[in-house]
Amino acid sequence: MPEDELIAGHLQELRRGTVVLACLLILRRPNYGYALLESLEHSGFAVDANTLYPLLRRLEKQGLLTSDWNTEEARPRKFYRTSAEGEAMAEALTSDWDSLDAAFRALKGKAS
Amino acid sequence: MTTMTDRYVTAVLSRLPKPRRADLERELRASIADAVDGRVSAGEAAGDAEYAVLRDLGDPARLAEAYADRPQFLIGPAHFLDYKRVLTSLGAIVLPVVAVAVALAQVFGDAQPGEIIGTTLGATITTAVHLCFWATLGFAAIERGALRHPLPGREWTPDALGQDPPGRRVRLGDLIGLTVVAAFCIAVLLISPYLSPVRDAGGRPIGLFDPWLWDTGAVYAFVALVLIGLGTRYLRYYLPWNLPRALAILVADLAGAVALFAAGASHHVINSAFGPAAGWDQAALDWGHRGLMITGVIVVITSVADAFADYRGRELVPAGSLRLNGLGRDRGRRSNGLGGNGN
Repeated sequence: MPEDELIAGHLQELRRGTVVLACLLILRRPNYGYALLESLEHSGFAVDANTLYPLLRRLEKQGLLTSDWNTEEARPRKFYRTSAEGEAMAEALTSDWDSLDAAFRALKGKAS
Repeated sequence: MTTMTDRYVTAVLSRLPKPRRADLERELRASIADAVDGRVSAGEAAGDAEYAVLRDLGDPARLAEAYADRPQFLIGPAHFLDYKRVLTSLGAIVLPVVAVAVALAQVFGDAQPGEIIGTTLGATITTAVHLCFWATLGFAAIERGALRHPLPGREWTPDALGQDPPGRRVRLGDLIGLTVVAAFCIAVLLISPYLSPVRDAGGRPIGLFDPWLWDTGAVYAFVALVLIGLGTRYLRYYLPWNLPRALAILVADLAGAVALFAAGASHHVINSAFGPAAGWDQAALDWGHRGLMITGVIVVITSVADAFADYRGRELVPAGSLRLNGLGRDRGRRSNGLGGNGN
């Protein structure tokens, strides 16, 4: 397997879970599909549209997000927002992330 | 006139259940339109922007599968091993039974040897295809059913490792018995023309076996095959498994089976003069020949089964060989095949 494929594969594995946490945190303020995509990208979480849109639906099905159709503007848009369960989940994931971060630092500290 | 977007959205929605379509359509169209607007305001032409956005969204079929949360595989890692096991054990049991049954039916029905082989092969292949199909279908259904009601995993415990394979001493007994039987049969075969209870008009003994076998030297070829078969069993017993040897042994066994089958089919085995002189019916002779053909089929199956059992039972980690000290010594001992540790 060429170098790039190898790196790409492992990077994908590394990032797979992070998009979920990023969504739950960013959607504390309601947002819709395309704008969320841009927002994630600006925050440093580049995601494909065809990954994000089904993911939002899946999180909604799991009760971590709630959705609302906003018909104020000419183009009706579906706004997502983190639910209470989503907030709890985000906290759990964040604390896990923090412990991982501490563990990595300790590991790197030991190695160097 | 449908635009590219219309066609794309239709392609995605057509693969999704009706109740979800309306909501999804609105959201998808809005997202596509927003993305196009984004590109246009960055200076792209409208047509190019639409094309690029749809290209980035990708295959509508894949998008639909992602929306539907359906597994994009037939049988997943959770069930694949079980599927493989079911298929191989079913195949190992059902296919030989089918082959023997069909071969027997053909032989009793007085078919030509070519017909026997052809029909048996055809029936076995058809059965194999059916096994694969229904097993695959069943597991694909289990895979999709398990998504809704996950099955409790069957925990593997070391109890499943099973007993040691039967000791080599037992097989040595088999080997000696086999040698004695083979020697006896060869002796009987070669002496039979001279020591026969049945006499002809001139008082000379009529052998059980057709003189044709001696005229053509087929009897010596047959004796050679028996000796080779015996030799392969000794090889199998004393030497560790390796692929070229295993294949050679399998070929030798199959050659023996083919010879048996051909001998039976040729109707040249039992002396046609023996039957009337001994008061046997012609039918008995025919049955004798059929018996040889049946034995040939059975030997094929047992040869393949033996070869497979050898492959499975090959010693990858000879018992007690990997001791921490004296590793070099053990390696040397392992290489000559007579693992004293194993006994």
